[in-house]
Amino acid sequence: MSIRIYVPKDAAVRSIGADYVALAIEAESAKRGISIDIVRNGTRGALWLEPMVEVETREGRVAYGPVTVSDVDSLFDASFHMGGQHKLSLGLTEDIPWLARQDRVTFARVGVIDPLSLADYQEHGGLVGLRRALTLEQEEIVTEVTQSGLRGRGGAGFPAGIKWRTVMATQSDQKFICCNADEGDSGTFADRMLMEGDPFTLLEGMTIAGLAVGASEGVVYIRSEYPAAYATLNQAIEFARAFGWLGDNVLGSGRAFDIRTRLGGGSYVCGEETAMLESIEGKRGVVRSKPPLPAIFGLFGKPTVINNVLTLATVPAILADGADAYMARGVGRSVGTQVFQLGGNIARGGIVETAFGVTLEELVNDYGSGTLSGLPVRAVQVGGPLGAYLPVSSLNVSMDYESLLAAGGMLGHGGVVVFDESVDMAQQAKFAMEFCAVESCGKCTPCRLGSTRGAETILKIMNGEDVQDNKKLLLDLCEVMTDGSLCAMGGLTPLPVRSAMLHFSEDFDRRARA
Amino acid sequence: MSFTPWSSEAASAVLDTTRDKPGPVLISLQALQNAFGYVPKEAVEMVAKACNVSRADVHGVLTFYHDLRTSPPPRNSVRICVAEACQSVGSQRLVDETERVFGTRMDESNEDVELKSVYCLGNCALGPSAMVNGELIGRSTADALHHLVKAKS
Amino acid sequence: MTLLIEPDYGTPAGKSQDIVEIEIDGVSVSIPSDTSIMRASALAGISIPKLCATDSLNAFGSCRLCVVEIDGRNGTPSSCTTPVSDGMKISTKSERLDRIRQGVMELYMSDHPEKCAAGDECEMHGMAKTVGLKEVRYEGQSHLDLPKDETNPYFTFDSTECIVCNRCVRACDEVQGTFALTIENRGFESRVSSSGTSFIESECVSCGACVQACPTGALTEKTLYTIGTPTRSVITTCAYCGVGCSFKAEMRGDELVRMVPYKQGGANEGHSCVKGRFAWGYATHADRITTPMIREKVTDPWKAVSWEHAIEYSSTKLKAIQSQYGIDSIGGITSSRCTNEEVFVVQKMIRAAFGNNNVDTCARVCHSPTGYGLSQTFGTSAGTQDFESVEHSDVVLLIGANPTAAHPVFASRLKQALRKGTKLIVVDPRQIELVRTPHIEATYHLQLLPGTNVAIINAMAHVIAEEGLIDREFVNARCDLDSFARWEEFISLPENSPEALEALTRVPAEDVRKAARLYATVPNAAIYYGLGVTEHSQGSTMVMGIANLAMATGNIGRKGVGVNPLRGQNNVQGSCDMGSFPHELPGYRHISNPKTREIFEIQWKTVLNAKPGMRIPNMFDSAISNEFKGIYIQGEDIAQSDPNISHVHAALRSMELVIVQDLFLNETSKFAHVFLPGTSFLEKDGTFTNAERRINRVRPVMASKTGKSEWEVTCDLATAMGYEMGYENSSQIMDEIAATTPTFSGVSFAKLDELGSIQWPCNAEHPEGTPVMHVDHFVRGEGRFMVTPYVPTDEKATRKFPLLLTTGRILSQYNVGAQTRRTANVVWHSEDILDIHESDAELRGIEDGSWVKLSSRVGETIMKARITDQVPAGVVYTTFHFPESGANVITTDFSDWATNCPEYKVTAVDIAPSIKGPQGIREHVSLGDVELESIIRMANQIAANVPTNTAPEHAVAHHIEQFWTPYMQERLMKEVDRAALSPIVIKALELDLNHVPS
Repeated sequence: MSIRIYVPKDAAVRSIGADYVALAIEAESAKRGISIDIVRNGTRGALWLEPMVEVETREGRVAYGPVTVSDVDSLFDASFHMGGQHKLSLGLTEDIPWLARQDRVTFARVGVIDPLSLADYQEHGGLVGLRRALTLEQEEIVTEVTQSGLRGRGGAGFPAGIKWRTVMATQSDQKFICCNADEGDSGTFADRMLMEGDPFTLLEGMTIAGLAVGASEGVVYIRSEYPAAYATLNQAIEFARAFGWLGDNVLGSGRAFDIRTRLGGGSYVCGEETAMLESIEGKRGVVRSKPPLPAIFGLFGKPTVINNVLTLATVPAILADGADAYMARGVGRSVGTQVFQLGGNIARGGIVETAFGVTLEELVNDYGSGTLSGLPVRAVQVGGPLGAYLPVSSLNVSMDYESLLAAGGMLGHGGVVVFDESVDMAQQAKFAMEFCAVESCGKCTPCRLGSTRGAETILKIMNGEDVQDNKKLLLDLCEVMTDGSLCAMGGLTPLPVRSAMLHFSEDFDRRARA
Repeated sequence: MSFTPWSSEAASAVLDTTRDKPGPVLISLQALQNAFGYVPKEAVEMVAKACNVSRADVHGVLTFYHDLRTSPPPRNSVRICVAEACQSVGSQRLVDETERVFGTRMDESNEDVELKSVYCLGNCALGPSAMVNGELIGRSTADALHHLVKAKS
Repeated sequence: MTLLIEPDYGTPAGKSQDIVEIEIDGVSVSIPSDTSIMRASALAGISIPKLCATDSLNAFGSCRLCVVEIDGRNGTPSSCTTPVSDGMKISTKSERLDRIRQGVMELYMSDHPEKCAAGDECEMHGMAKTVGLKEVRYEGQSHLDLPKDETNPYFTFDSTECIVCNRCVRACDEVQGTFALTIENRGFESRVSSSGTSFIESECVSCGACVQACPTGALTEKTLYTIGTPTRSVITTCAYCGVGCSFKAEMRGDELVRMVPYKQGGANEGHSCVKGRFAWGYATHADRITTPMIREKVTDPWKAVSWEHAIEYSSTKLKAIQSQYGIDSIGGITSSRCTNEEVFVVQKMIRAAFGNNNVDTCARVCHSPTGYGLSQTFGTSAGTQDFESVEHSDVVLLIGANPTAAHPVFASRLKQALRKGTKLIVVDPRQIELVRTPHIEATYHLQLLPGTNVAIINAMAHVIAEEGLIDREFVNARCDLDSFARWEEFISLPENSPEALEALTRVPAEDVRKAARLYATVPNAAIYYGLGVTEHSQGSTMVMGIANLAMATGNIGRKGVGVNPLRGQNNVQGSCDMGSFPHELPGYRHISNPKTREIFEIQWKTVLNAKPGMRIPNMFDSAISNEFKGIYIQGEDIAQSDPNISHVHAALRSMELVIVQDLFLNETSKFAHVFLPGTSFLEKDGTFTNAERRINRVRPVMASKTGKSEWEVTCDLATAMGYEMGYENSSQIMDEIAATTPTFSGVSFAKLDELGSIQWPCNAEHPEGTPVMHVDHFVRGEGRFMVTPYVPTDEKATRKFPLLLTTGRILSQYNVGAQTRRTANVVWHSEDILDIHESDAELRGIEDGSWVKLSSRVGETIMKARITDQVPAGVVYTTFHFPESGANVITTDFSDWATNCPEYKVTAVDIAPSIKGPQGIREHVSLGDVELESIIRMANQIAANVPTNTAPEHAVAHHIEQFWTPYMQERLMKEVDRAALSPIVIKALELDLNHVPS
């Protein structure tokens, strides 16, 4: 029997040489006459250990990492394929403390299974949730999801069950499930990793949503910056169709549900749900006014569930294990787990899935081990480019929707980006405005004109021009953008700007800058 | 990346695969760009006709999405992430050095290569990130990017 | 009058029955639940600042000026996009809201010129003051150096003043339905763009909706710069097509600055097309003749004379002709371009002063079969619906009409319905725009061969009968069952099946079946049709076939259904209503009815001739045979517009007195002895009646350039002829119309001023008019089914003339072009073009854009060819807007069997490349007794078409008695070789015509 060796195929791991490692292992095994079977799994999410090669042994999967091509020879010399000791040995994967501490629900299979093997998927609990859903009434599914307390993981945190109920209750000849996989926030990559590492989970969640609300069609909108996720997901859809899961007769139930993918065109604002709908409809990705809510008038004017990848990918577990099991995790109204993503200037970056309520401190310093540069942490941006910059003094904040809001920030999609002390926070504030200027859809005035004016004004402050007046102007502008913008893009851009001005005011003072 | 030379016949064939899909304009433009590397101005009317929308509709979509281009691409594309996570690990330095190494400016191109900024490639723990001809590169350096381009061109 | 500023409530009116109570700034308001907060506020007299909202467009929510605060809700939602809900408490004013509004305006003004070209027109500067903006603190990038786009002849696009509110883009999409505008790029770089090209190269149809919607000076009428801002406005009615759009004529002194569509206009509700909106310059064009002119011979130069002299000269001549050639030797033609009042006095003059009924109208050549066909079946000669009705249709069956070119404002309304889900079936030989145009696609296009309309409508009806889709409940309750039984038997004949007719019509039988099912099975299906139905040898049969279809499926008598002729000219409906036909007094009452005559005889204090007079073709025939010698032509260029022009020219040449009343010298005036200058619609005071029977006021915006009203001239001439006629004003004429015509009895200028417009019938039963007709019963009592056998036209493709020519209009030009050719509309269309299919062109070696010779058996002309797939192989198409191309040199004098409406839509032709290029037109000489030939053909056609299957000879005799002149009847009886006549006609002639039961 050949030996199973796991080399991740995740785009992040490939970006640091996984393909070369896999090739080298293959070549070397051939040379040595060792029969191996390389599985290209997703990543376990400990990116600081990647490329992490796992070998299946009687004791379990044994990990080595980070592995480079030049290590392959010595790994074979150390009989790593038999679980042999090597300087890169990490022991049993499941015992790696960084992973063992986590509470994986949404990401339970990511990195574990062969992403495109339906057999592997089912062996690891796949399709249990869907099979249960097929025995339930629409109302029962919606109730289960509602009771689980699952909230939208895209950022807004709106209870998923309530949204589903609206769609379920709206009469229409056609309804849609739209998965928002336009993961554009800098510092976030969980959606991508899930789609690459366990795409069937997303499809299963969408199918359950379809059954729940009476929709027969699902669309996944993926950003074009994610070619690998797009390819993997398309492949998974084809396999699911061939399996008799997607299509006219879901697992022989007589119910229909199919999924197609749509690729974005390079536009951050298309992650805003209504702009996404416009983009799926093939139009300019311009934000719609609400009301009407997409749940009532959504894609092509039909009632539409719009959920983020992580939201939908969590649904199978809720159906499989019950609402209570999910609900038992978390704090307050932030129940269940969150998939935090540690990025930026961080020593140990990657995916940390854990119950809500972990502190930022734990994430940054315990999991993350501080900065990559080794310099002290100066600022942490939580929640993507529209999230606040928090100073070190705020690191004790509990990572849940409500606590972050109270701390003047927002959870967003769970991205945590660490900056060391070399950061220029005025520059970061200016960048927030510039980013908005580039990515604004251009519909509403505060965002369309305000973002450019904001960047110009911050530059003046940085250059020491009429600093007091321009600071006043900038704050006035922030208020107009916050209160006046049509969507969160313009409405939240002031968040990083204001937080930078508040917590790092010295960077807005030219004398101090000099 | 190799592209078919533009011809209206070939474009028609491409549009035949997209025109009947729901909301076909953006996917039609994307399919044309996949096939030809760009969407020439003359395609606007073809897409409008195929999708039964106005030329203005197509023009609006074509100019909205930053992925879409109306001129042929240079042989190599280098996209560097300039969003926050990569900024925190020196993307500005990477940009400066890459500009120097390739002898062209960001968001400009020479015959050989086009340097473009991108906001996030989903590789935020392994920055600075870049994408060279569609291949994602983590912990990028200007020399590594240059090496990749030279290897491919 | 001052400048009328119409209120703008920001968003469209709510339609919900659900009424909610809300409180706005402490004021309680009850309002439909689908109303926006903005509109509710505006209606309560509370004005919320806004820039991107206007009540002709759906709420958009982009400017963010209209933010409000709602008790119990976070944030500051935009009031335009937020609907009211019961119990809502709204504040429209607070310090926070002030700060947002000032902040937004500060951003706007940081990228807006300090001084706008539009001056007071620019809402921006006004709004800045309204929100209390004191200073603009930003400096930076702007769009203030962008170039202007001046390519459209009528308006300027100045991007520097553009605030990207999308109102123009949305107006083009939502109101006009052309989708010619977009925003290009995104974010700060977002700019309004006509698809990346200049306006003139874009898809823009210059309807003006964008200009009207623009809140700044970015889109501005050029006249605003050249003439200045207007100071007063007059509400009036457009004088182009039968849609009858209401406009505000905005004046500066006596100069017209612009025509702005009027939101209160019932027909157009604030929309317009390029002609009505912009192409009014002809009205004051230098070519206008404003002084009467006379000449002894048509070879003499014109001599300007006084009105008195011209009237004296004309009346003397007319009287002399009558004394020499008899009372029937003169007549007149009324114009569908003139007001009801002007038409009424002309027919009155002919009947009362000329003493005969030789009055006909240019509607003869367009919608006379509508009058005939609908009165036979429904009992009234008019469309059944108002335009708004189409919004309630599930299916629209569009036959032989091209609304986007000929009735653009109705087309926009239709497109709105189609985009909301109404399905469309097009029956037309051409691929008209509506078959497939951005965001609209017809479900079926039955692309039939020209001349096979009746076959198609019969085939559709056959399917409906065969497949059990007849609405028997409706038929039993509402229709004459004997006629229905006859019709059902007839229509069920196998020869009427789509399969049997497929070879003839060239329409796949399955398509006909599907289309028929679609029409018959939806709740509300409506038929709209145009001249592609009427201008055929079986025009009247087709109209009846359409009426049968509507009755059989119960699609009559409520919103969303009906039979709706799209009238070509502004007042076709009105001119017909006003008694312009030789056999009918106003209100479609037969001249032979003594009771009807009595009403007019008492009113007019004269005795009326009971015999029907001559139709236009009769007048021409009679002129050629030297019996008809004098004619008064009101505003119609028969020498260009009528078929077989050589025949028309010969007729005009043989007359002793041709009086032309018109704005310009034209083709007809080349044959005239007297030219009486007419008035443009800007000078007229009266009413037009549009295609939905809507009587609209035409108000003078400037003094008559001729010194007289047209009706005054007619009255003067009648008086000079010896019959005293006169009114103090045109309101008195309407009073006389109301006094003599039951369907108009409730109409007066005062009521029109009060209600805005009135759809007749307007009487004691319907004091405010009648939007939908035949609601509980048909006007004639029971709806009558008519048997409609398909009789092929004699005009057939032959080896010599293998192609079929059909004609039509295009958007920018209008009919004979007398108006539009004198405007900048020639930018879009400066010559008539022959459309030809690629295969026909290739066969003949014709290239796109090359000159071709077009010939039929009656004439030849030369024009440029355009190769297109809009016509099928075997069919060619052209417009008739330019006298140089002389399309009507080609058309024959074949006509509708019942009404003589010319068969413009089918002419057998051939085409060949023309190396020489434009050489002018050539008429083929007709040999033999053309008049007699035509009488024989008409009689045989009546026999072939007359819709009955019991005693057809009675029907033929009755028809001839009712509609033919005594002179024609006499010739038929005495001079025709019986061998040339069909047996039914011969049988009919053996009956005593005066004692035939009707």
